Amino acid sequence: MVQINFAQKQVNAKIVYYGPGMSGKTTNLEVVHQRAPTANRGDLTSISTDGDRTLFFDFMPLDLGTVAGMRTCFQIYTVPGQVYYNSTRKLVLQGVDGVVFVADSSASMVQENLESLKNLEQNLNEYGKSLATLPHIIQFNKRDLPDAMTVDELNQLLNSHGAPCFEAIANTGQGVFPTLKALAARVLETIHTGARPGTTGPQTAAALPAPLPAAAPAPAPAPVTAGSGTGYGQRPLHQTGYTQVAPGQAPASIPMHTRAPAPAPMPQPQQQHQQQQQHQQHAIPMQRPQQQVPGIDPNTRTSVHAPLGSAPVGMPMQPVPQQQIVRGHPMPAPMPMAGPSAGAPPNLQMRPAAPMPTSLPQAPRAQAPAPRGPAPVRAPGPRPAQPRAAAPRITTTTGPKKKSFTTVMLVLAALVAGAVMAVAVLS
Amino acid sequence: MKTDEKLRNDRMVFYTADVQRFDGELDGFLELSGARSALLIDKEGHLVTRRGETVQTSLESISALIAGSFAATREMARLLGESHFSTLFHQGQRDSIQVSLVGEMALFATVFDGRTNLGLVRYYATETAQRLEGILGDMKARGGAPGGAADQLSSDFGQSASAALDKLF
Repeated sequence: MVQINFAQKQVNAKIVYYGPGMSGKTTNLEVVHQRAPTANRGDLTSISTDGDRTLFFDFMPLDLGTVAGMRTCFQIYTVPGQVYYNSTRKLVLQGVDGVVFVADSSASMVQENLESLKNLEQNLNEYGKSLATLPHIIQFNKRDLPDAMTVDELNQLLNSHGAPCFEAIANTGQGVFPTLKALAARVLETIHTGARPGTTGPQTAAALPAPLPAAAPAPAPAPVTAGSGTGYGQRPLHQTGYTQVAPGQAPASIPMHTRAPAPAPMPQPQQQHQQQQQHQQHAIPMQRPQQQVPGIDPNTRTSVHAPLGSAPVGMPMQPVPQQQIVRGHPMPAPMPMAGPSAGAPPNLQMRPAAPMPTSLPQAPRAQAPAPRGPAPVRAPGPRPAQPRAAAPRITTTTGPKKKSFTTVMLVLAALVAGAVMAVAVLS
Repeated sequence: MKTDEKLRNDRMVFYTADVQRFDGELDGFLELSGARSALLIDKEGHLVTRRGETVQTSLESISALIAGSFAATREMARLLGESHFSTLFHQGQRDSIQVSLVGEMALFATVFDGRTNLGLVRYYATETAQRLEGILGDMKARGGAPGGAADQLSSDFGQSASAALDKLF
């Protein structure tokens, strides 16, 4: 629920990254934290297991700055993706103003994507909300996987409400900011007008730009083709961010969600000229050398599909000390994977956006566990088989009583972790 | 249309006059209880107002964690057949936190140290939570802005927000 506080001159909105386990929700948030200007980002707080799996939520405030005299902030959360943690996931959804559904593009993850999307709708319904009315964005992550499904296929499977969708390779930063920007725009529009974000029904593959031959120039970002009215209710929703670039071509940025009125249809040469101009405009910030997320070796990833620009899109990267990268895609190889991790101790950590005040007393205080060791590196090659603790059968075979008890223990663990963190932070 | 109306109302608006009333109650609580700091947080984890000593950390983060903790507590209560747990207490070596439920929409969190004691804090916190709930009830009953309040979002908020987004991203 949006909070408008005229005394503090502040507007707060809550955004949640949702999706199946290991789809890249936390990685999205880490990239935002790493690359957002220091003045705009807050601390990234993670309540996770020792296996680097989100236990309760990750949280980061993002300050948009002063908008019409009001400081506008987004409180960005991620949820634990595993089905096992549905009770905590539902808690995080309380009062949500916008959702990014992070789907795993891998063909082997179709079922998990569908289950997570269904779970999202169910949990929203419990709060009296629905994807039909809630601002949301679909992100097709891991586009560089060899078995990635096509965007058309994913769109038909997962985007029944016609929401804008974006391709992403979150661990390189690609597609992360366009996704967030698109959702932020929709949420802000809702705040201002109260208008329902537009939905045009199922978005068909035909709405996406057709792939071009390898030798063809890179297409411009998908243009807005309609939108004569105001608000999202009449806005076309095919700003999917889906641009296909032949390998070796100049990258085209993923189109931002824009509120600009649609251009009128124009003759083909003029359209091409405008597309070129748009492409150049979008390509300007991408002339920088490619910057990888620290700790990620670009050589370990091979882009097969390569529909995205090769350079990260969005704001300039902020240098992040290596020691701050304590979780995320870089994983130890081989990494002992945490199993269902129900009994794993919660791991609390905060990555400060700015150095903490040095005047703080150094007396022994309740401390969060020290950050884990050096940033692990994920082994190249196919993703190791993860024991996805989120198998629905885990909860059904344990029986209602055991399920309730386990849930209580889980919630209790998260509670204690939150208390330790709160005391540590307050000190 | 009905959905649009619902969305338009699906927000919490705190006007300056209301927050001043909250501040008055929190100041009174701090004076009586000897606590360090008092925070009023909505259930989504957004800070409404804060009084007392400055907390040397991100208030957004601490508010989100407190709201998350309380939400987890509520879920535990539900599983145990309780309607809710009205208070939550975390004891640290030096600082402690007590969180009280304020009606259905807000949380009242107080941070205190050895200069006072839990009993005193809990006593006055219970009383203050009731007063805060009364103010929230007044806001709800009133519906819109208090009389004469000029608080409203600027008409160019949407346009300015769009420009801010372009600048940030």
